[in-house]
Amino acid sequence: MKQEISSLMDGELAPSEAEQAIRACCASEEQLESWHLYHVIGDSMRGHAPRTLERSLAFRASLQNEPAMIARPKRVLESTFARISLAAAASVATLGIVGWIGSQGGTPAGVPMAAKSSAIQPVAATATAPRAKAPAFDMREYEVAHRQVPRPDIYTVSNNKALAPGK
Amino acid sequence: MIEHAASAMRRWLPALAFGVACGVQAAPPAADPLAWLNRAVQASRNASYAGTYVHTNGDRTSTVRVTHVMVGGEEHERIEPLDGPPHEIVRRNDEMFCYFPDAKTVRLDRRINAQFFPSILRGAPESLAASYAMSLGKTERVLGYDCQWINLEPKDAMRYAQRLCAEVGTGLVVRAKSLNSLQQVIEQYTFTELRLGNQVARSDAKSIFQARVKRWTTDAQPRDEARTVDTGWMVEKLPRGFRKVIEIKRSFPGRAVPVSQLIFTDGIASLSVFIEPMGTPARTAEASSEEGTTTFYARPMGDQLVTVLGEVPLAAARQVGQSVARRP
Repeated sequence: MKQEISSLMDGELAPSEAEQAIRACCASEEQLESWHLYHVIGDSMRGHAPRTLERSLAFRASLQNEPAMIARPKRVLESTFARISLAAAASVATLGIVGWIGSQGGTPAGVPMAAKSSAIQPVAATATAPRAKAPAFDMREYEVAHRQVPRPDIYTVSNNKALAPGK
Repeated sequence: MIEHAASAMRRWLPALAFGVACGVQAAPPAADPLAWLNRAVQASRNASYAGTYVHTNGDRTSTVRVTHVMVGGEEHERIEPLDGPPHEIVRRNDEMFCYFPDAKTVRLDRRINAQFFPSILRGAPESLAASYAMSLGKTERVLGYDCQWINLEPKDAMRYAQRLCAEVGTGLVVRAKSLNSLQQVIEQYTFTELRLGNQVARSDAKSIFQARVKRWTTDAQPRDEARTVDTGWMVEKLPRGFRKVIEIKRSFPGRAVPVSQLIFTDGIASLSVFIEPMGTPARTAEASSEEGTTTFYARPMGDQLVTVLGEVPLAAARQVGQSVARRP
């Protein structure tokens, strides 16, 4: 259902789907929570101060159930990709905001920054930061191993370790 | 009735004559997509070509210069990415020499999965029939050459549609696109400049960096790793049409033990499955991302971490990642 709400807000649903999503979105406290959450995320990603965060307790609780996504948020409207990347963007922005709530003590100015930075970089660091657990995924090393095309930047680092200079 | 048959014959005679006339010429094949794909494979190996192509995958764009010649039955190829720090890959058949002038290092690797446009098919084109419906599209003028479009429509949701544009004279692919299920182009290779045949000199395929550094440090470790081993892992629910290319163990930066890597392909798309002991702190959640055709999916599996990366939709990467198991 969260996916539908997210898609609804992005105008990706057909009229019949939209109607269903609108009906469902306010049917339960949980759906209302998602509706609210996605608006906060949308606001912060557009660089606006979010609406009131009075739901923030439940909001934080709901984050525990959000999967850690590492995608770069991107919008390709009307594609299945958009749904996935949007879901990723939502997780990212969400966690960005949590970081802000914790670290900035509630100053709205921090929000656009958090959302913006996570939109540019691989977001694993941001996404995992509040959990303070595993480090960021480095997709590049898997990509290099898959394609066998080493990039100079990551190669040089590993190479300096592997080989004695002047050999 | 007889009169009718006779008039029909009169109408068809010119067409028959035309068909025979075309048949006399060996190439190009008339209407068989498989024949065109075979020509494309042959051309990417045997033709001499040099040019610059642009590769766009999602938000990422790169420009690459490529030179390819066949000398004494050996393929020689030089690939020079024109973006970022200078480096080049010089390939002789399946031996790859990657030169990094800044690090004064040459890295030797054995080609397994590396694909350099316009060589994009893996294995015999006949194997594609299990996964794709093939057809010929329109002919079009591209880069000043007449080209034939070849369409590969996926038979399931486990792969992307492909559009290949083959130059009529040689069969060489000069443009290639991958489309998602909404027919949007998500990855594209296209030459922006291309020379064919005897316009290409053999010396063009040699390293331009080799002479620049007096002493190169050689790192041949990747080549040593590119040997088939039994990793003890398998994929139980491999999407239809995919077959295993190789099973190896590769060392990764910062990892104490080598990472198991299984590579699969359906003849054009490929994916790698990586299995490694879970690092500390342990990951507890799945992760995924998609950019262009490149999909990344990772999940914890007990004390192991499973990672899938390939040019497949997320559904395929997830199905593969979730069905990794120990080989009985």
